[in-house]
Amino acid sequence: MIKYGFLVMGAPYSSPAPHSALRFAHAVLARGHQIAGVFFYHDGVHNASSLMTPPQDELNLREAWTELNQQHAVQLDVCIAAALRRGLMSESEAQRHGRQAFNIALPFELTGLGQLLELQQRTDRLITFA
Amino acid sequence: MATPDALLVILRHAPHSSNWLREGLDAALVAAAFGQPVHLLFMGQGIMALLKEQGSGALGQKATLPTIDMLEMYDIDKLWVAEGALQRMHLSTDSLVDGVSLIEDQEISGLLQQHAKILNF
Amino acid sequence: MILHILTKAPDSSASTQMQQAIGDQDAVLLIEEAVTAALDPSWAAWQQCHTRIFLLSEDLIARGLASIAAGNGLPTLEMDGFVALTEQYEKTVTWY
Repeated sequence: MIKYGFLVMGAPYSSPAPHSALRFAHAVLARGHQIAGVFFYHDGVHNASSLMTPPQDELNLREAWTELNQQHAVQLDVCIAAALRRGLMSESEAQRHGRQAFNIALPFELTGLGQLLELQQRTDRLITFA
Repeated sequence: MATPDALLVILRHAPHSSNWLREGLDAALVAAAFGQPVHLLFMGQGIMALLKEQGSGALGQKATLPTIDMLEMYDIDKLWVAEGALQRMHLSTDSLVDGVSLIEDQEISGLLQQHAKILNF
Repeated sequence: MILHILTKAPDSSASTQMQQAIGDQDAVLLIEEAVTAALDPSWAAWQQCHTRIFLLSEDLIARGLASIAAGNGLPTLEMDGFVALTEQYEKTVTWY
């Protein structure tokens, strides 16, 4: 069994990267490996938006990530600096910055970049999708 | 040439055209702050990050140069520049900040092999 | 030994940079836009990596390039084969 980590930097619906990452994730799990976590960075942070509302006949990427978390305990970390500057934040960050809305909620967690390096340290493979 | 546990951060995008360079440099700085040895490789348009006369952009876009100047404080002292890319962009080292190391195109693959961890921006 | 993953077309700067970085024992997987390399069997990377370069089948099929890739005799991999490559190669670098 190999332990994988993913770095996702492509935005949903404008880059094919999130779709590639999800297809690869299911193939990794089907071969009996483990995915420890996904780190969303750069435009990839938009994958976490709870306001994401694609047409009904398209895959909702946030829900697809959430399912991966719920069924396979894959940790979903979002870079806080990349998220805030792009208008994505959790309820507590919204309070801290005096904003009236928030769009990041569990199972996605806002964390620092250190988490990416930690993911790279504790996994056997770090695969980038961008 | 490199320590086996060092992280190689490859930077291929120019300042003021996307956020790839800034967020790539941020990753390098955080890794260094965590005590990891970090080396940088500038390829293609990424070389523009090293131009010593660059400034900040309009509407408060931050300049990259202060971050480049900060690298040494974080013990990031290996700044590899792809020599072929430099020539293709009609630039010489005179236009770049001090302290860069040139690497020939044929040596780039070897540099990647020597690093256990690589992040490509 | 590195697995290089290319996501952009063969004429992109990402592709040029990847080609400079490929070592003798490295492998290459072409995904997303990079599968358009199926159209050009004379692309330098096909010779550079001959037995260790592959097209991702799903992305070829989605773009209507599968029969062209087969006609040009180019090697393809399913998603399962992509995972197998990452089992074999400890390091991966994505060029985008």
